[in-house]
Amino acid sequence: MPGPFAAFKWEALLSDWNVFAEGFGMTIAVSVLALLLALVLGIAFGMMGTEKSRLFRLVNRCYVELIQNTPLVIQIFFLYNGLPYIGIQLPIFWVGMLGIGVYHGAYAAEVVRAGILSVPKGQFEAAMAQGFSYRDTMRHIILPQAKRLAYPPLTNLAVNLIKNTSVMAMIAGGDLMYHADSWASANLYYGPAYVVTGLLYIAICFPLATYAKHLESKLEVSV
Amino acid sequence: MKKVTTCFLAILFCIGMLAVAGCGADKPAASDAASASGSAAVPADIKAIKDRGVLKVGIKVDVPKFGFKDPNTGETSGMEIDLAKQLAQEILGDASKVEFESVTAKTRGPLLDNGEVDYVIATFTITDERKKSYNFTEPYFKDGVALMVKKASGIQGLADLNGKKIGVAQSATSKKALESAMKEKNMKADILEFGTYPEIKTALDSGRIDCFSVDGAILAGYLDDSTVILPERYDPQLYGIASKKGNDGLAKFANDTIAKLQSSGEMDKIIEKWGLK
Repeated sequence: MPGPFAAFKWEALLSDWNVFAEGFGMTIAVSVLALLLALVLGIAFGMMGTEKSRLFRLVNRCYVELIQNTPLVIQIFFLYNGLPYIGIQLPIFWVGMLGIGVYHGAYAAEVVRAGILSVPKGQFEAAMAQGFSYRDTMRHIILPQAKRLAYPPLTNLAVNLIKNTSVMAMIAGGDLMYHADSWASANLYYGPAYVVTGLLYIAICFPLATYAKHLESKLEVSV
Repeated sequence: MKKVTTCFLAILFCIGMLAVAGCGADKPAASDAASASGSAAVPADIKAIKDRGVLKVGIKVDVPKFGFKDPNTGETSGMEIDLAKQLAQEILGDASKVEFESVTAKTRGPLLDNGEVDYVIATFTITDERKKSYNFTEPYFKDGVALMVKKASGIQGLADLNGKKIGVAQSATSKKALESAMKEKNMKADILEFGTYPEIKTALDSGRIDCFSVDGAILAGYLDDSTVILPERYDPQLYGIASKKGNDGLAKFANDTIAKLQSSGEMDKIIEKWGLK
C-alpha cells in the first residue's frame, strides 16, 4: 500500500517542479521587497520613538502597538478583502509586500529604537558640542553605533519575515506555500509536497539565521 | 569549513529522519493487510472498529446540505452525516455510534493516512490520481461544477468571464474542469484557489474575484440576494466514500452499503430529504 511518501508521489513532484519554482520565485520577490519596506519603516519609526517630541513618540507607539498586537492574518485579510469596500483594490503582490513589510516594520522599529537608546547619551551631547546638526549626529555618530547592536536581531527578523510570507497562501497569493497547497490538495500527494516546501524555506532561512549567529558572536567580542 | 560541514550533516540528518518516518508509515499498514487476509470471516480492519465500538468518520462542517454545523445549535447535519450514520448502523448496529471529525480539503488525506478517521465522506470527488492513494467507493452523488456571480455584474456564462478572476476551492477538481471548458471556448480567466468556501464567498463579496465556482450543490448553500448561480454545469463530479489503502475490508463494506442503499431506494430518499435533486 502506498504511504504518504510513496515513490510515485516524488516522481509526480519532480515532473511538476516548475509549479514549486514559480512559488519560490514569488516568495523571494515578496520577501526582498517586504524586507526593504520593513527596514525603511523600522528606521523611520524607530527614530521617532527616541525623539523628544511627544507627538513623534505617540506616532511610534500607535504604529508599533497596533501592528504588534493584531495577527498578521487579519492585517492581510483586511488589505485583501477590506480595502476593496472603500474602492482600493491593491494587486495581490502589493497586498503581500505591504502587509508583511508593515507588520515586520513595527518589530524593526522596536529593534532600531532599542539600538539608538543603547548608545550612551554622552555620544549625543559630544556630537552636539562639536557643532553637528541633529541629522548629522544621527547619521554619523548615533546610527552607526546603533546599527551594530541592531543587526543580529534584524537578521532574525528577516528570517521570520520570509516564513511569514506563507500567509499569502490564504489569499491565493501565488507564493511557495500557495503553490504547495494547491498542488498537494489537487492530487493529495501532500507528503513530498510539504517536505520539499519545508526544505526550500530552510534553504533561504538557514543561511540567514547562521549569519545572524555569526554577527552576534562578533558583537560579543567587540563590546 | 568545519561549520559548513556541521550544517550539511544536520540537514542530511533531517532528510534521513523524514525517510525513516516515511518507511515507518508503510509498515503498520502492510501488517494490517496481512492479518486481514489471515482471518476469514471478519476483516481485521472492521473487527478493529467493532472492538472500539465507534466508527470514526471525517465530514465537512461548512457545506450546507452535505455536512454543515449549525452555528446556532451546534448540531451537524447533512446527507453525508446520514450516510455515516447508516454505515455505523450496518457495522455496529447502532446509528449513534459514530464519531465525527471535521475535515477540510487539505486535512482529509492525512487524517485517513494516520488512521484518525476510518472513512472520509466529505464531498470527495473521485479521480484516477486520487485512487492511487485511497480506496473510493462507487459514487453516491453526482454533481457538476457551477458558477456563482454577483447579479449586478451581468455575467451570463463562462464566456463572459474572459480575462476575469474565478475563485475555486483548493483540492477541488473545479480548476481542471474549468480549464478544459475554457480551452474549448478559447478563452482565459485567472483561477485563484482558496482554502475554504467562506473565504471564496468573502472574496466574491469584496470584488476580489468575479465568480465563485465549485460543485453546484455546494454553491447552493452560499446563495444570497446579491448573487445568482448560472445554469451552466461543467464536468460531472462523482463523490465517493474514501478509506485508507490497505483497509480493504472497510472499502468493500462501504461499497456494499452504498449499493444496498441505492438498490433499496434509500439513497434517493436521503438525497430528496436534503433537497439535492
